[in-house]
Amino acid sequence: MIQLSNVSKYFDNEYVLKDITFLIDKGALVYITGPSGAGKTTLLRLIYMAERPDEGNIIVAGWDIGKLSRNSIPFLRRSIGVVFQDFRLLQNITIFDNVALALRVQGGRPKDIKETVSGLLSDIGLKYKANDFPQHLSGGQQQMAAIARAVVSKPMLLIADEPTGNLDPDASANIMKLFREINLRGTTVVIATHHRELFRDTGKRVIYLENGRIGKDTIG
Amino acid sequence: MRTLYYLFQTAVKNFWHEKLINALTVLTVALGLMILGAFTLITLNMDLSLRQWAKGFGLIVYLKDNMTLEDVELLKEYFKKDKDIIEVNYISKDEALKELKQTLGAANPILGGFEENPLPSSFELRLERRALEPLRIKQKAEHIRQIAWVEDVQYGEKWLSSLNSLSKGINVIAIILGSVIFIATAFVTYSTIKILFYRRAEEIETLKLLGATRSFIMLPFLIEGLFIGILGGIIGLFTLQGIYMFATSKIIEFLPSIKGATTSFPFTAYLLPPFTGALMSLIGSIFAVGRIRY
Repeated sequence: MIQLSNVSKYFDNEYVLKDITFLIDKGALVYITGPSGAGKTTLLRLIYMAERPDEGNIIVAGWDIGKLSRNSIPFLRRSIGVVFQDFRLLQNITIFDNVALALRVQGGRPKDIKETVSGLLSDIGLKYKANDFPQHLSGGQQQMAAIARAVVSKPMLLIADEPTGNLDPDASANIMKLFREINLRGTTVVIATHHRELFRDTGKRVIYLENGRIGKDTIG
Repeated sequence: MRTLYYLFQTAVKNFWHEKLINALTVLTVALGLMILGAFTLITLNMDLSLRQWAKGFGLIVYLKDNMTLEDVELLKEYFKKDKDIIEVNYISKDEALKELKQTLGAANPILGGFEENPLPSSFELRLERRALEPLRIKQKAEHIRQIAWVEDVQYGEKWLSSLNSLSKGINVIAIILGSVIFIATAFVTYSTIKILFYRRAEEIETLKLLGATRSFIMLPFLIEGLFIGILGGIIGLFTLQGIYMFATSKIIEFLPSIKGATTSFPFTAYLLPPFTGALMSLIGSIFAVGRIRY
């Protein structure tokens, strides 16, 4: 699903990532961890093409990013769902519309959008909040809605950058449970976090980044 | 089509959400287009006045006394062949005297002092509107003067020159002002859309991550720009129409003779401000949104 070969990224002539090589299989759940500034976020940004590598090669969901034209980027992104620490829900539209947005950008039919979004919000227990605006939801609920938006179009890959960074332990546990469920349905999930307790004893693959290099690639 | 409908809805919502800044922009655009419309109307009225005046404008060709009727007919045919001349009237010596008597009164002592009719026969030539260029008329008058039977040619040379200069001056001002307002309208919309674009920077980033294409992101802004232009145009139009009707009615009240020389609010004036507003605002919006980079 994701293949990085000798990938490096520099900012102001200093490397942020150096010589990164790994392969993530389809359907895997992988954690990327490391201290602040280790390059976790940059690595994810390279995968969803918010950045381009200065060296090396990246293939995501069959797309060779080096050969991808800028016009094709939106279509690659439709196969990737992204979740952030700060949720990034649009504050001036309802939860329903936030989730529906991912389908609307792809030109979905209104009837299908309504059915899919309502069903998904029911599944995650947010149906009753569908017509509320994000600021009226708790942090955990907002992150749930953000995840719903990321997966509503059934992407092949879900990327989460510190998804529990702003949440209390209970909410964090719920969010991680949701990620595991999504992964069980076949979606490849990559989670960047510095909270070791999130991947401890999960039996899942953990990639440790240290100063922009892979320090360890092990099982949590 | 459904995406377009959704984007249109989004533009309406966004327009309403930012109603204060949008209202101010609409009013600014309205004011600019109103000034542009006012100058267009002044130019149209000026043109109408020229046309009215041109209807009565002509060359008077005074003839020598020794012409035969055959000569007069030949000369008349010659004038009729000229494409700049739309009407040819021959006034014989007798008719000229009759007209003078009617003007001065038959018993006027001035007329009694002549033993013979002192007035020459003449041709009155009315010209096409397009021929009413001072230089062109001057050349034509000179040309006619060269004809052997012609004694003299007269026309309101200074009047024509002044009126023509005035008309050209107003046209130049209208073009310059029009261009300035065109650019200003585009710039005002550009600034507003740029501000709105920056305000929605996070929203745009989110849309990009969700796989939105450039057109999906751009269109609501362009539609919003169009709303600004069209609404500004419509407000400018009706304000201008109100002011114009009030002003012309007041002017006619004081100067009834001007009635025929003012145009009613022309149909083109109904289309011009909204169309100009829409076009310029669209151009401004396109520049404001610029290239969306991934």
